[in-house]
Amino acid sequence: MGTSHSQGLAPARKYVRPLPEDTWDSIAARELTQLPAADASGVLQSWNFHVFMRPAPPEDSPRAGNPILPSDIIFLEPPAAAT
Amino acid sequence: MLDLVIKNGRVVDGSGLPSYTGDVGIKDGRIVRVGRVTEAATTTVDAQGKVIAPGFIDPHTHFDAQLLWDGAAKPAIEHGVTTIVPGNCSLSLAPLKEEHRMKLVGMFNQIEEMPLKAFEQGVVWDWETFEEFVARISKDLTVNVAPLVGHSVLRLWVMGNESMHRCATPEETAKMQELLRECLAAGAIGLSTSFVDSDEKLQPVPSRYADEIELDALCEVLSEHGRLLQIVHEFYDADLTVARVDQLANLSLKHGITTTLSPLFVNADDNGAVDKVMNRVREQMAAGARVWPQVQTRPIDISFCFEVPSLLFIRLPSWYAIMRFGTHEEIVASFADLERRPALIAEAEKNNMNALWARLTLRQVQTDANQSLVGKTLQEIADMRGQGLIEAMIELSLEEDLQAHFLSGDMGHNDNAKVGELLADPFVHIGASDGGAHILSFSTYGDTGYLFANFVREQSALGLEAAVKKITLDTANIWGLNDRGQLREGFAADVTVFDPATIDRGPEYYVQDVPGDGSRYVRDAMGINTVVIGGEIAYTETGGYTDSRRGQVLPGPLQRP
Ligand SMILES: [Zn+2]
Repeated sequence: MGTSHSQGLAPARKYVRPLPEDTWDSIAARELTQLPAADASGVLQSWNFHVFMRPAPPEDSPRAGNPILPSDIIFLEPPAAAT
Repeated sequence: MLDLVIKNGRVVDGSGLPSYTGDVGIKDGRIVRVGRVTEAATTTVDAQGKVIAPGFIDPHTHFDAQLLWDGAAKPAIEHGVTTIVPGNCSLSLAPLKEEHRMKLVGMFNQIEEMPLKAFEQGVVWDWETFEEFVARISKDLTVNVAPLVGHSVLRLWVMGNESMHRCATPEETAKMQELLRECLAAGAIGLSTSFVDSDEKLQPVPSRYADEIELDALCEVLSEHGRLLQIVHEFYDADLTVARVDQLANLSLKHGITTTLSPLFVNADDNGAVDKVMNRVREQMAAGARVWPQVQTRPIDISFCFEVPSLLFIRLPSWYAIMRFGTHEEIVASFADLERRPALIAEAEKNNMNALWARLTLRQVQTDANQSLVGKTLQEIADMRGQGLIEAMIELSLEEDLQAHFLSGDMGHNDNAKVGELLADPFVHIGASDGGAHILSFSTYGDTGYLFANFVREQSALGLEAAVKKITLDTANIWGLNDRGQLREGFAADVTVFDPATIDRGPEYYVQDVPGDGSRYVRDAMGINTVVIGGEIAYTETGGYTDSRRGQVLPGPLQRP
């Protein structure tokens, strides 16, 4: 997803675009299978402060409790070390 | 007999080729001769010692509302701009159903910092469809307008309040496609979307609830007429920007469309960030995609007073809430409340923001008592008064009935060498002025004058011909304005005559000229001699604005088969 013609390009930080009902847990379960399930969501959040830190949806919103938007970029790895 | 001839100037024709001495002849709104013009003309302009250039094109503005009361988009034209692109960043004023008007006004107010009163008192809402909006602004147009249609607005029309909660169904996506098709047929130049903006409740704008399928479907419609996609991306982060560049490249290659992202800034602490983005842009362009990052010429500075909300305070929730949601009396009461003050001061001092407050300059007050403080830094004022920084800022604002204006200068994008290198880069699109928006935070007008004054004359980052090409023919080509941006026979007669030795932006000042007793920051132009739009003189340095009304909506309605 999101990188359909990335062949031949320099490697960039890996990411996915969320599915419509995605949560931290569902993305972590699908994409971070190498990590213990108990840690995976927290790790994912730490790589995605741009989503994690945003103001929460209002309590009466259908999205209450879930800040992830379908247009977001969700990184699957930490930033590359500075060179 | 010609209508107009501009004689004996230095012709910088927009192509980037070396300039030469010559004349430009104009008839019926078109350029009919460039070189030596011997034919007589009704009007002659002497351009001795001046540059004759194509009119400048400003691809990133939010003049949408202003066009309803000012068809010249003042002061854009006096800075040499002959075509503006409104409707950026997912927001346009059409298509818009009556019941959604106030929702949209709330978004414009929040994101583009445009006063609510201006909408209430300056706008007669007599359109719903894009076609009706185009007809409405076309009645009284001096400047050319190439309007984008906003993705958030398409969603609002089709999905109503649901557009602010969820993805579209296949049926809704199909309806949005049809609606976009109608907008393009009525004269929209493309589609704008946003991945970062929030509404007046600080919740994401509707376009951010779109999934990949929806945006892809809309790009499919753009491809039917070769129209463009503009996005505002997560400009504060290089990895996110690279991901958006890749996303745009995929859409560009799949649908054969041009895409542009704005703004791209130089971050003084991390020049590597902008290099990383530009390397990706180069790779994607080499792979055949069209992905144009927009870079502004102007360094970032922000002015504010506490009368209106300022995005400078968005990371200080208590302050922002007071400014955003309080009436004048409530704001005064909040600042006068000595019990609340320690908490406000603590919030403002947090995160090392004192460095910012200390550097603020007092730029304007209304009482005589404080006039002597204008031009001093907040640190100097606080020291003189024996107050803390934040306390001085609050007390001054109370003394001035909230009309103490502060300037936060040099906030970024001010590394001349790095910005100059970017502006000269063939893979950079000069734009992102944001004209018509943020009118109480900074003046966006004069970015073109600043390009010549700072980056051509002072820094020698670009030659004169290259700088002209960047804001004329390059822009016209990127946006598909096929008969603009060059002084060439048969092209539309949009021409700017300027003095290359003096063209500049004047100092920023505060005027009250917005409907509803509103104010804004503007800058006068320097060195702009004559501006011709659609073959008629729209502005002269000596006479100001004429009553010419030759502006057009571009590219204009599609010819129906
Ligand atoms: Zn914008």
